Amino acid sequence: MSDSHSYPHEPTGVETRKLGMWVFLSTEILFFGTLITTFMIFKGRDFPGIKLSDVYDIPFTSVSSFVLLMSSLTMVLAHNALENGDQEKTRVWLLSTAMLGAVFLAGQIYEFTEFYHKGFVLSSNIFSSTFYVLTGFHGLHVFIGVVLLIALWSIGQRQNGLSLDGGMNLEFVALYWHFVDIVWIVLFTVVYLI
Amino acid sequence: MTKIIQPNKQSNIFKRPSSETGIWSWITTVDHKRIGIMYGYAAFFFLLVGGIEALLLRIQLASPDNNFLSAAEYNAMFTMHGTTMIFLAIMPISAAFFNYLLPLQIGARDVAFPRLNALSFWIFIFGGVFLYSTFLFGTAGAPEGGYLAEEVSRLGSAPNGGWFGYQPNAGMKYSPGTAMDYWAIGLQILGIASLVSAFNFITTILNMRTKGMRFMRMPVFTWMTFAVSFLLAFSLPIIAIALFYVTFDRQFGTTFFLTEGGGDPILWQHLFWLFGHPEVYILILPAFGIVSEVLPTFSRKPLFGYPAIVFAGFGIAFIGFGVWAHHMFASAISPVAQAGFGLSTMVIAVPTGVKIFNWLGTIWGGKLSMKTPMLFSLGFIGMFLIGGLSGVTHAIVPADTQQTDTYYVVAHFHYVLFGGAMFGIFSGLYYWFPKVWGKMYNETLGKIHFWLMMIGFNLTFGPMHWLGLQGQVRRTWVYAEETNLAFWNLIVSIGAFIIALSILVFMANWIYSRRKGPEAGFDPWDARTIEWSIPSPTPVWNFSKAPEVKSLDDFWHMKYDEDEEGRPVKRDTTDALLLELEEEGLNPKEDIELPNPSYFPIILASGLPFLGYAVIYKSLPLAIVGVLLILIGSFGWGTEPLEEEFTEDTENE
Amino acid sequence: MSVDHKPHPKPVQYVQIALVLGVLTAIEVALYYTEDVVGVFTDPLLIILAVGKFVIVVGWFMHLRFEDSLINKFFTGGMILALILFAIVMFERAAANFI
Repeated sequence: MSDSHSYPHEPTGVETRKLGMWVFLSTEILFFGTLITTFMIFKGRDFPGIKLSDVYDIPFTSVSSFVLLMSSLTMVLAHNALENGDQEKTRVWLLSTAMLGAVFLAGQIYEFTEFYHKGFVLSSNIFSSTFYVLTGFHGLHVFIGVVLLIALWSIGQRQNGLSLDGGMNLEFVALYWHFVDIVWIVLFTVVYLI
Repeated sequence: MTKIIQPNKQSNIFKRPSSETGIWSWITTVDHKRIGIMYGYAAFFFLLVGGIEALLLRIQLASPDNNFLSAAEYNAMFTMHGTTMIFLAIMPISAAFFNYLLPLQIGARDVAFPRLNALSFWIFIFGGVFLYSTFLFGTAGAPEGGYLAEEVSRLGSAPNGGWFGYQPNAGMKYSPGTAMDYWAIGLQILGIASLVSAFNFITTILNMRTKGMRFMRMPVFTWMTFAVSFLLAFSLPIIAIALFYVTFDRQFGTTFFLTEGGGDPILWQHLFWLFGHPEVYILILPAFGIVSEVLPTFSRKPLFGYPAIVFAGFGIAFIGFGVWAHHMFASAISPVAQAGFGLSTMVIAVPTGVKIFNWLGTIWGGKLSMKTPMLFSLGFIGMFLIGGLSGVTHAIVPADTQQTDTYYVVAHFHYVLFGGAMFGIFSGLYYWFPKVWGKMYNETLGKIHFWLMMIGFNLTFGPMHWLGLQGQVRRTWVYAEETNLAFWNLIVSIGAFIIALSILVFMANWIYSRRKGPEAGFDPWDARTIEWSIPSPTPVWNFSKAPEVKSLDDFWHMKYDEDEEGRPVKRDTTDALLLELEEEGLNPKEDIELPNPSYFPIILASGLPFLGYAVIYKSLPLAIVGVLLILIGSFGWGTEPLEEEFTEDTENE
Repeated sequence: MSVDHKPHPKPVQYVQIALVLGVLTAIEVALYYTEDVVGVFTDPLLIILAVGKFVIVVGWFMHLRFEDSLINKFFTGGMILALILFAIVMFERAAANFI
């Protein structure tokens, strides 16, 4: 009789890896919280030099934000498809999410390049420092997310599809992806709109 | 017949590691006990290094107007002493205890994520090596036209901005060269190790407890591990960002802490101490846990007020997040903040006091056995109390402005960190020695260690209280004859060498006893918690079958009943029970599944120092190597199943 | 041993939620342009909208509404801790700079 049946599991009733993922995400709150707080401390301070409001393009960023929001929809549809056992649909939605994420990243890169040409560079002043490091870390997280999504998609292609347990898991990548989205929801408001 | 499942299928490009002995088995291990042992030895090594750094400082300060160390070397030594002791000695030794004991105390086979556990260890090793490589490759320059314009020796080419790296002093303008980058990036790497451990332990405590191990039946050491893990999880992300800011300011031209660019140096202090204060509770809570295990065992009495101790522990952790700016009373923070933090700092003394009273209540009326673990735990209570009292005096803001940057502060934190955390750790090392190695340490040498250390410790740090109040400033490489500080500084330095002697006694005891110590048996202390119900040394599978826990101090209650006056009475069944436990513990009847060893944690971890060097030396090739190692490690890991799949055939074998 | 089956919204409901999110975003952008008209209410409204979107994604897409309360406690606990600590830091820096 295998030992895994007699050894007790999960007295909390929550699956261990899911619990681990939520604990991780709770700590990411502190990570991005620090970045956002730093940005907010300096925003609006009376210091000479170029500011974000001198260079940004709200319509463009709004479209980017919408793209990222919609990627959360495709992500949740991918999860839904897997729960219903539809491997092919899962892969389609996974790829869509990755592509939307890539579009968002492309938008960020384009924006940053424009800002750079207008003289708003990393080392300009405190406003540029806080802006680039905050949005840069977010972008890095999006990039990692896209890599994870493509990895999941390719695992789904090779073996006989993905399973809901074992190995790299779609549900946890989904949680990570949504988290990256909610950070942007806060960022967009705090950095661009207010 | 027992079958331990061996990895037998090719589950990836390379065959899974399968050795059980030899160096590869240690490199690929995911066994929490082995990881704990490796943490312990590595941490002890760094403790010795940090101790030597301290001795060098004390030689310099043993007499006035000394020039044993140059100013540059002195700055490097005190910075590295603090950084090493905190991040490379005490935190990893605590990790050693958590790793070894946590699964045993909750009745589990291993932690929730065994490979992640190995990853934490290897990241710590690579981080420590990276930090110390500063002595080989680092450069600590002086600002142009600055006081220290002379050539800096190898000994001085290390981080020299204090373990707290205050900005802008530790920024590129005033600390040119690469040494402070080794510091910032080294700490960043080490932080990742602890953060990953924190998730692991939180998840383990929540989800890997054995049958009947309800929360209020867990040993206090397990509870303290839980609290420490929360502190780590929520404070490390803040310092991670702060360290990124430092590195970006130094390397990439940002101005987070530079007023020239609109930045704010006080922001560094806020972010650093938002982490730094929870950090000191991270350092002391494990010792609180250890002492809470040792005192009841050596008093043959249950812990007094178990729920109070548990809640006080969490109270300290929680309030610990709300006192950080008491490190900033002398910086330009607003008076409202000073008042608020002074108040919260006084409040945190309350749950700490609760614990002290409960420990006293535990030993009161007990049948005390003055073995070495008990001596250190009693010493802990006394020394930590003194340190705590001087800490409360810091809470009074006007008094603190007198004490700040003097040796009074140095006295305070060494009483709580050495007299507190280290004494607690030594108590634990002696207490669990027989469980880990199956042999008993030498009691006489243990007592010699204790008394030498007590005397040396108090001689070293006691006089610092009045030296500080008389005006001796911290972090200063020399003091003049006219200050009249020479006599007590000499006493302090002598005390430091007595401490060193006591450590040698400890090491001799350890080495000798591991080889030639008498066999210990699985319950030499007649202890209370379930890790003592399994053989010594601990079998690789821990428990032969999942224990079923019926109460707090379950093992004690299996052995003892209580008479009308509450005194323990040995049950008739106890002797037979102990024999049965021993036989069962060594000969499991069920098949046992153990997590498989893996190459990928060490591979992944090895990528991080490459990234560190890449940032410092602006080297794209190094960065690529680092990223590749991380990717290979991650993908290998992600596609490697932890437990081989069971088929119907193997089940019926 | 499969994932616990808590009630899941159906795909069409997810699309509806996404539409709500889109509308909220549109309102946010509109607020940015009509700042002169809305005046002092702009910032609070923007914050409320952001919080609304945040809660929707966390609650429904990340499923927190339907999860065990343990997970809820972690996430909410982390949020509250962050909000308090960072509010204190921001307040302190603002007060110090005002003098």
